[in-house]
Amino acid sequence: MTRIKCSKLRGKKPDELQKQLTELRQELNTLRVGKVTGSGGAQKLGKIRNVRKSIARVLIVTHQTTKENLRSLYHGKKYKPKDLRQRKTRAIRRLLTPKEKSIRLKKVQRQQWAFPQRTYAVKA
Amino acid sequence: MRVCFFHLLYQIRLDIYLHLFSMGPKKETKDAAAPAKKKETTTAAATASAKKTTKTTTTTTTKVVTKERKEKVKSTALKAKQRVVRGNRLTRNRKVHLKPTFRRPFTLRLQRQPKYPRRSVPKRNRLDHFAIIKYPLTTESAMKKIEDNNTLVFIVNIRANKPMIQQAVKKMYDVEAEKVNTLIRPDGEKKAYVRLKADHDALDVANRIGII
Repeated sequence: MTRIKCSKLRGKKPDELQKQLTELRQELNTLRVGKVTGSGGAQKLGKIRNVRKSIARVLIVTHQTTKENLRSLYHGKKYKPKDLRQRKTRAIRRLLTPKEKSIRLKKVQRQQWAFPQRTYAVKA
Repeated sequence: MRVCFFHLLYQIRLDIYLHLFSMGPKKETKDAAAPAKKKETTTAAATASAKKTTKTTTTTTTKVVTKERKEKVKSTALKAKQRVVRGNRLTRNRKVHLKPTFRRPFTLRLQRQPKYPRRSVPKRNRLDHFAIIKYPLTTESAMKKIEDNNTLVFIVNIRANKPMIQQAVKKMYDVEAEKVNTLIRPDGEKKAYVRLKADHDALDVANRIGII
């Protein structure tokens, strides 16, 4: 069996990928039966690993493309699904945003504008 | 009910007053382009029904509406409207409780209208029919079962139950099962004895699958 490459898979359509997935899984099934009945030999038994990894690749590509499409769909929207939001840490997600932190009273704003911290230098 | 009544009143009042104002310019002998605010009053405030029919009756008398009258009219209409909108707190219906127990009343329960799905992609079913049936057994006792009892023996995912196994076998091998018996082997794997329906031959199916 030819080695399935992810780069080849990314070009395919989703239903094509699904079809390939079912084919691979059926192949795996027959290989497993062969293992039990003692038919194939070393060739067939070695193939099992390849098929399993190919199935994994197909699933990876499917998942990655769906996620990518969803991210572009929700880009810029206010409410995104939770797994498309930034993960960081739980504590960081609950912190004040930089904008919220920079809020000051108008009085304070005026003071800071009117009386900023001056720097002095001594002339040599 | 009360709300309708007030609303009606409000509507009637509004109609009346609009009528009043629209009638003036037409009836006036002197030509006045703008709706006249000051006119001569001849009759006092009439009843609602009378007002409605004045269009045909009054031809000689001209109604003059003073500014104060207008203000009063507006304020009463506004009050009526406010009553309708806010609800009348003074004379509303109070429920009479005849029993000593108070049961929680039924309140409005809205359906969920989520603004976003919590998960972007729904979870995929990890226990699909490929994952349920691992492999068929080919031991001597299994062979015996195939020949004598028209059953196939599978090693099956331990989380699968009998109806799931039945479905999986149907999907994978196109056979209908009469019944499924399961047991968990000492080494932790689930074994399923799938008795096929009489119109299927286990031997043929076994040949088809690859176990002989």
